Amino acid sequence: MRAKSMMSLAIAGLMLVLSACGSGGASEKEADVSKDPADPFGKYSETVTINIGKEVDSADKSLPPGDSPENNVYTRYFKDNLNIDTKIIWQAGVGKDYQQKVNLAIASNDLPDALVVTDTQLRQMVKSNQLADLSEVYEQYASPVLKKIIDSTDGLAMKSVTFDGKMYALPNVTAESDMQHIMWIRKDWLDKLGLEVPRNVDELEKVAKAFVEQDPDGNGKNDTIGISGPQSGGLLNADFINPNNNNYGFDPIFGAYHAYPGFWLKGTDGKPTYGSIEPETKEALAKLRDLYAKGLIDPEMSIRKDAQELIKNGTSGIYFGLWWAGGYGPLADAIKNNPKANWQAYTLLDKNGEFTPHMGTPSNQYLVVRKGYKHPEAAIKMENLLLRDESKFDVSVGIGNYPLRIVFAPMDEMYVTYNAMKEVLAGTKKPEELDLPGYKLLKADAENIKKVKLEPYDKMDIQYWDPNADLGAWKRLYSTLVGIAPLMEPYKKTYSLTYSQTKTMESKWATLDKMEKETFLKIIMGAAPLDTFDQFVKDWRKQGGDDILKEVAEIAQQ
Amino acid sequence: MINKGFAKHYYLMLLPGMIWLTLFSIVPMFGIVMAFQDYNPGLGILHSEWVGLENFKYMFSLNDSVTILVNTLVIAVFKIVGNLVIPLVFALLLNELRLRYLKRWIQTIVYLPHFLSWVILSGILLDIFGYTGPVNQILSVFHIKPILFFGRADLFPALIVGSDVWKEFGFNTIIYLAALTGINPALYEAAAIDGATRFKRMLHVTLPGIVSAIVLLSVLSLGNVLNAGFEQIFNLYNPLVYSSGDIIDTWVYRTGLVNLQFSLATAMGLLKSVVSFLMITISYYLAYRFANYRIF
Repeated sequence: MRAKSMMSLAIAGLMLVLSACGSGGASEKEADVSKDPADPFGKYSETVTINIGKEVDSADKSLPPGDSPENNVYTRYFKDNLNIDTKIIWQAGVGKDYQQKVNLAIASNDLPDALVVTDTQLRQMVKSNQLADLSEVYEQYASPVLKKIIDSTDGLAMKSVTFDGKMYALPNVTAESDMQHIMWIRKDWLDKLGLEVPRNVDELEKVAKAFVEQDPDGNGKNDTIGISGPQSGGLLNADFINPNNNNYGFDPIFGAYHAYPGFWLKGTDGKPTYGSIEPETKEALAKLRDLYAKGLIDPEMSIRKDAQELIKNGTSGIYFGLWWAGGYGPLADAIKNNPKANWQAYTLLDKNGEFTPHMGTPSNQYLVVRKGYKHPEAAIKMENLLLRDESKFDVSVGIGNYPLRIVFAPMDEMYVTYNAMKEVLAGTKKPEELDLPGYKLLKADAENIKKVKLEPYDKMDIQYWDPNADLGAWKRLYSTLVGIAPLMEPYKKTYSLTYSQTKTMESKWATLDKMEKETFLKIIMGAAPLDTFDQFVKDWRKQGGDDILKEVAEIAQQ
Repeated sequence: MINKGFAKHYYLMLLPGMIWLTLFSIVPMFGIVMAFQDYNPGLGILHSEWVGLENFKYMFSLNDSVTILVNTLVIAVFKIVGNLVIPLVFALLLNELRLRYLKRWIQTIVYLPHFLSWVILSGILLDIFGYTGPVNQILSVFHIKPILFFGRADLFPALIVGSDVWKEFGFNTIIYLAALTGINPALYEAAAIDGATRFKRMLHVTLPGIVSAIVLLSVLSLGNVLNAGFEQIFNLYNPLVYSSGDIIDTWVYRTGLVNLQFSLATAMGLLKSVVSFLMITISYYLAYRFANYRIF
């Protein structure tokens, strides 16, 4: 009797599980709902629902009460214009949390209809045959402007999503200025201590020393930090998998030594090599180790939970990052705490006085549609609409709330914006003349610039700005005018031979990468002697690096 | 003899636990086959390609494997010992306290950290042991240069074990205290009359009285011999301390969920389970043999 009831209990439990399994991975029947003609901006006659996974920024407080990531000004906008309804079936915090959630969805083959993924995830999904072929849909539905932007990358964007001749994702295109890392520095501290802007590593060392020792914030305490470093989990340098947007790393210092760790380069013998195993990298590491030992780099780098903290509270004097790591980064809070914090941006030059940064790839986000979803074109239509109308949106609501948003920017977007702003300030151009297709924010920027920029228009120091007039506009325009300026000079670009993983990397890269990160961090922070670099090079080659180099050589020849 | 109507309640109470166990522990066991496959999510565990022991061969060829196994064992064993001995000593000391309300207060306070999650606690620990944190400030009084505690591979295991024992000892103390209340006070009186000192009474009355609780806790904790505490280490480690702090669970997390090498991660997870299973079996046998104690 008792055994029987136990059995039925177990069976009940099992059935529960089985039914749960059954609902996943269902193949939807191919109903011919859509009879709408192929129009990039066509409104569906019947509401189309798209299930998505969404990255949400917990720091974003811009949604008005009552609105949510699922129902806000943007979702209502494309509901009205396209008759598309988004359902968020799961959401996760920006960055690691979201990536992990996507990885889980891939592993369990339980995917939403559309997602934004990384290169590694895209490859895995293609390999697992989880994605819809977008070739035809793209041809039919992508708007001309969207196509033009994708074509502006000389086929790089397309190449990154094409597997066996089929297009499996819509690649984003970022402006080229998301690739070069520059130096942000407290100009008011320099002025106070009577120092010049450091332009090379030796001058940087002198300035950092002064920032640490001469109490630049004048509070009488020995609490300032010379150079900020990466936070816990952050990268010392951008690499070929994440070549863009590495804030708080040491990319400019590596660049100044012509060291490009994490990048696949053409060696002196013409054969491909890996930047991290080259002598220039050892040289740069030696310098960083020296700087760290002298206390000029944040002693708690890579352990600290949030690198921005030191910049916001006015402890740090120098950090490396992108043009947008200014206004869009920690600086809005930094000037709230200290309106006189005058952060300016410069390039760091090599010993010949040349700026030699590493360059990234225009595509690093991919919009994918699950295999079997009835309306793959819906996802593309949403991007069309975003691209066409982004400038009309009220940007007081964070644009991150636009579902499935990926960035589409002409490669030269920020350079064009920079020059246009200069012209508007000089009075040689009017906002009305700047309504160029693809340059979605240009006209709005031109209308806003005189709101936040005070005279004299040729001085960029913080006292000549009025952030309070419109903080959103200030963030963008301060970043542009201060952060893009250094990139307007000519410089020498170094590209990686490839920006995606090869076959052997799929199984071996994790180990090699871990070894590299651990070794480099230990060298810089003095936990291992500099010569462990040589052992690392040997181990790297032996544990798969040589095999990978052969594969990279094949790619490079194509 | 058995009241059947009454027994039903027991099964009903068992139900949530059974469902939980089925869903989260028994069903996922079928996933073990991934360790022997080149798992492809699109094909699922039923159709992925079989590769035999390929994943295990690769796993053993990695330098990491030995490191993480050793790290896991070292951290877990010290945690087990710490979490058995310190609460025991503390419970015995607390038991000798005359003031009952003071005893209650201490008991409650020391077990509060048990309820904090590691996510929160790790932030606090990083601050306390930070470069400008209280610990380094105290050290600076003695003219010791600031130490980057969580960047030192040699100190990391000690910090991990120490903070875990600090967090959990209050909770384990309660179990011992509960066992202590079960000792017949007449035994103490008899021993006192026979002239036993307080220390002798502790040695000959208290300890034998709770030996079964000690054995039970030891046997149960041996199942954790390869659980070094994912949540704690994940929130506190960084590449500087990989050499002494990277454990099986964090490695499996990075390999499987960050780098998408599902099969390799499963193989390592399976190895961990097999070793843990052996440990439990042995410890169970030992407990029966030497303490005549059986759980089942």
